[in-house]
Amino acid sequence: MTEPVSAKPDDSALVRVRGLTTVLNGKKVFDSLDMDIPRGKITAIMGPSGTGKTTLLKHITGQMRGDAGEVWVDGHSVSKLSREKLFELRERIGYLFQNSALLTDFDVFENVAFPLRQHTELPEVLIRNIVLTKLQAVGLRGAAALMPTELSGGMARRVALARAIVFDPMLILYDEPFVGLDPIALNQVLKLIRTLNETLGITSVLVAHELEAIKQVADHIYLIANGKVVAQGDPKTIADDGSPWTRQFFGGEADGPVPFQYPAGDYATSLGFPRRGA
Amino acid sequence: MSLTMSRDNIVVRSLEQIGNCGLFLLRLLAAIPQSLRHYRETVRQLWFVGAMSLIIIMVCGLFVGMVLGLQLYDVLSIFGGTSATGTVVAIAIYRELGPVVTALLFAGRAGTSVTAEIGLMRATDQIAAMEMMAVDPIAYVAVPRFLAGMIAMPLLSCVFCAMGIFGGHLVGVSWLGIDNGTFWSNMTATVEVGKDVINGVLWKSFVFGIVVSLIAVFQGYTTPPTSEGVAYATTRTVVASSIAILALDFVLTAFLM
Repeated sequence: MTEPVSAKPDDSALVRVRGLTTVLNGKKVFDSLDMDIPRGKITAIMGPSGTGKTTLLKHITGQMRGDAGEVWVDGHSVSKLSREKLFELRERIGYLFQNSALLTDFDVFENVAFPLRQHTELPEVLIRNIVLTKLQAVGLRGAAALMPTELSGGMARRVALARAIVFDPMLILYDEPFVGLDPIALNQVLKLIRTLNETLGITSVLVAHELEAIKQVADHIYLIANGKVVAQGDPKTIADDGSPWTRQFFGGEADGPVPFQYPAGDYATSLGFPRRGA
Repeated sequence: MSLTMSRDNIVVRSLEQIGNCGLFLLRLLAAIPQSLRHYRETVRQLWFVGAMSLIIIMVCGLFVGMVLGLQLYDVLSIFGGTSATGTVVAIAIYRELGPVVTALLFAGRAGTSVTAEIGLMRATDQIAAMEMMAVDPIAYVAVPRFLAGMIAMPLLSCVFCAMGIFGGHLVGVSWLGIDNGTFWSNMTATVEVGKDVINGVLWKSFVFGIVVSLIAVFQGYTTPPTSEGVAYATTRTVVASSIAILALDFVLTAFLM
């Protein structure tokens, strides 16, 4: 296992994962995983369903702790931070949840304003301007007065994105940001992710399955499977690296190192047919 | 053998739940200073668990007082003591029925809604989102609901008692013809503010408020994030609260008498 290394402030990697091993319900989700997320870049994490992509984001934000190994974010070992320090770190991280996780008691405006109201003493007029700016960026300024129940899935995701970027964080973690978006919204969200990265230098981590969308924004792709990084590289060339992992994943093939079928007994026996030769 | 083991398991699980609930109470108490920042949320919850429970408390209080007046008049008339109807209605309501029935109604009306709301917030990742926004959900979600229940219960008990006595008066004086002056004078002469109102109503309902709110918030906060989990948690809130209220009522009565 790779020895944990201390991330220095001038380290080019904002997030550094070393030897991360996690066992959940008896299944090894990560097996000594190593990964570097470079500062100011857009990094995509891809992989078959159930390989622990969302779990990895939870490790980065300290929502989960591994059984072994370390996760460093901006020079801090996340598992060793006190709750106060962890909250201080999280104030600089934006997180887009898979299911948006909007607060259902508040309207769209108040959802986006929520982090500002909790952590700042800004005057109301400034909060209003910041919130409307963020909503304008995701194309939903006109929906400010709507309640979360009145939004479609794609709209809710864009509101959640506006909330995630309301503090202009140093790191944004997007968990399946493109699900449920129509082509127009998808294109705008892609542009927004790229703009945030280019203008503010925000480091972004994308967990997604849409290779075409990823190709447009990501600087680097990690493909994880079986608890490890099985391939990594430039989005334009990773699919052509010739490894069986990338061939199966990007080719969408059922056969390959990643089993399509969940482990099960004999199919014919399950259906009640007699076994051959019996 | 297996019966003994399953009985042991139930006992161990129950003790574990009580222990976890106690630890959760410590977390709530520790988060109170931080939650004072969110006083508006506490006021909002006070509206939901307190003001929104007023109708059911008032209606039930009225009918409990009315039926009590009717039953007591019937029994007391055997001994020619119908003039004591107001006194007995008031003492029964102040000492027992007021705080206990209010707490049971509160557990059914407000406790279950608190459990379901927090449980659904957990199931839809709202609690996790708060954690990610560096907002402590214990201070923002759990404590305001806990404090609101603690404050609302004694107030609701007072309303219940007032409506109960009004109901007793309605039946005894307006319907069955007990003298209005006798009804009130006997009552005010017998009821003691310290023993019946402060100890009987306020203290008991304050303790019941703490217990019911704690159980409701704890069940919601620790429920598995599934629809079945939320359903079980709301049921557990009513069952555990009802048992706790009646058991505590006995203990408190023994100490306060």
